[in-house]
Amino acid sequence: MNKTRLFYVPMMALVLLFALFGPVASVYGQELSDQPKQTLIMGTSPDFPPYESVDAKNNGEIIGLDIDIAKYILGELGYELQIQSMDFSGLIAALQTGRVDFVMSGMSATEERKKSVDFSEPYYFARNTIISKAEFGYESLDDLSGKIVGAQLGSIQEAVANQVEGAAQVRKLNKVADLIQEINSNRIDAAIVEDAVALDMTNSNPGLVMSFLPADESDGGYAIAFPKGSPHVEEFNQVIAEMRESGKLDELLQKWFPEAKDADARGMIDFSVLEGYVPYILRGIGVTLLFTLVSALLGLILGSVLSLFKISGIKPLMWFATAYTSVFRGTPLLVQLTLIYYATPQLTGYDIPALLAAGLAFGLNSAAYLSETIRAGIMAVDKGQREAAIALGIPYPKMMISIIFPQALRNILPALVNEVVALVKESSLVSVIGVTDLMRRADVVRADTFRSFEALLLVAAIYYVLVLILTSLARMLERRLRRGD
Amino acid sequence: MVINVQNLTKSYGKQQVLKGISTTVSKGEVVAIIGPSGSGKSTFLRCLNLLEVPTGGSIMINNEELTAPKADVARIRQHIGMVFQHFHLFPHMTVLENITFAPVNVKRVSLEQARQKAMELLAKVGLADKANVYPSKLSGGQKQRVAIARSLAMEPDIMLFDEPTSALDPEMVKEVLNVIKDLAESGMTMLIVTHEMKFAREAADTIYFLDQGQLIESAPPEQFFTKPGSERAARFLDQVL
Repeated sequence: MNKTRLFYVPMMALVLLFALFGPVASVYGQELSDQPKQTLIMGTSPDFPPYESVDAKNNGEIIGLDIDIAKYILGELGYELQIQSMDFSGLIAALQTGRVDFVMSGMSATEERKKSVDFSEPYYFARNTIISKAEFGYESLDDLSGKIVGAQLGSIQEAVANQVEGAAQVRKLNKVADLIQEINSNRIDAAIVEDAVALDMTNSNPGLVMSFLPADESDGGYAIAFPKGSPHVEEFNQVIAEMRESGKLDELLQKWFPEAKDADARGMIDFSVLEGYVPYILRGIGVTLLFTLVSALLGLILGSVLSLFKISGIKPLMWFATAYTSVFRGTPLLVQLTLIYYATPQLTGYDIPALLAAGLAFGLNSAAYLSETIRAGIMAVDKGQREAAIALGIPYPKMMISIIFPQALRNILPALVNEVVALVKESSLVSVIGVTDLMRRADVVRADTFRSFEALLLVAAIYYVLVLILTSLARMLERRLRRGD
Repeated sequence: MVINVQNLTKSYGKQQVLKGISTTVSKGEVVAIIGPSGSGKSTFLRCLNLLEVPTGGSIMINNEELTAPKADVARIRQHIGMVFQHFHLFPHMTVLENITFAPVNVKRVSLEQARQKAMELLAKVGLADKANVYPSKLSGGQKQRVAIARSLAMEPDIMLFDEPTSALDPEMVKEVLNVIKDLAESGMTMLIVTHEMKFAREAADTIYFLDQGQLIESAPPEQFFTKPGSERAARFLDQVL
């Protein structure tokens, strides 16, 4: 019978979910115990070429100067390297929560950061530059008096920007690529950006020029960050010193800081910059869909349970469901997501994978909304249906699953579709914890190409098509459910 | 005695709907329950399978106390079929699925057997050709006949009918009453709340007259309709006949 089959699907999906994540955890555990070679996890924010970026044109591997240095050091010390990608602003937290063993992400050893983490000796001193439109061409910090200055949030340049005397405003943005966009649209007058990055930016945006600021060796330079009291600082420092001596460091610098190449002029929107990146972006569809499926099913199942609690008439259950809904509806999803991702390892010791954390956060959140929708749907089913089922001796669970829910589902299908559509689009939030969904991939490509519109337009189109497909599937389902009318 | 009711009361808040009803129904007896609206007829019937939980008194079904604190209500209910005024067919299931659902899921009858039984019942109520139709495609009379077949599929000892023809267009009343009459003649124990006096007179062995929550009269139809034993019953009959 069709009705019963409908309810196997969520079960299967749950099993699938655990099958997907279960093995990852166990394999990881084995590596630690069975092999003598210890794995060190490196945290990095791969949107900062040439230090680290996602090689989107090939297989999505993370590459860059920092990666090469890390590989060399770990090779010398006999560790395996595992790279964990995440947002720059989450790196320090990842160190503190023990999610990663060290961080290399073009990170300067500032006094501020030294309060939270330990640093190695610096491996590179970067110079900062002022980027602005060619017609302004600001050359020194003094020139920026009265101007709106931008910098990447949580970066050392943010501190430099804060030092500009008389700056009208300091605008902090998440991505370097955003800064270029803001300059191009005249929202900010100039941005403080690091030399290597500035070189790439001006190369791909002919309208922009850069001016070097004097190198400031007192700021500590780029260094490797470790959790406070990490045993690895000393051995890393030894290898860095050796690299400096042997010229290995210079060799790697040469590799990643090539001579400036001629700029090719491009228009405002030129989709040819996406050439080679499209397959990489398209692979994000699977991640976004898997994530949506997991969170929608979790939301539906949990939401159903909560809605049953709400109509159970049993006081503690009703209170629980009401409190649950109130809390999850009353706090921002982004806060829930971040809390679940960072708090789970600390509270339970389980290193929750980002995708699972995201599925959990969205599922839990969605359950709060759906429980209200489902409750309303159940209440709308004719009371006589329940009486007829009771009179036939059908037990409560069977009655709810086979008689009441299918009819409630039909009532609330449009609301459910809205919820799933919202989930598809909100899923773009998961990019903040490093899940490589569509949005994250667009960000990576933006950072790679220093062009904002093309990748964003492409993913916007993909989201739109996904939602279109989803709504037409829902319409088919609705027709099927209405065949009894 | 198949049914033994002692001093049954039911209150909603301060309003007492049933004020101590005692009666017995023997096997194969057909009881028609009549009375003015608001007299408690439907409430009395719905108490017999605990769709309404009585406030006081006791109900014995097949010598088991339904109202006992530890009674296996679900199992006792399986012996009691119920047909509602508004049919309450499951709209998302075909006629056949409506009938086979409870036997398969509650009594664990095989699907094959349940289907065979369902087709027999559908033939009996004259709807064999509607097996794979959804309820929305049926007329009211057809729906009620399917609802009767659905109850019978559980092979109950007792059938309760709660105004089975009240929601029907006049031309459909007869087809449903004929089915109920056939059932009565087959020896089924039945209680029928009805406004169809002619039907009550023809089909029932006993007439219960309820008024203001009390069982005023319990008598064979001939006696009740010709020489009602109470002033209230006489007045009621005056109004409806």
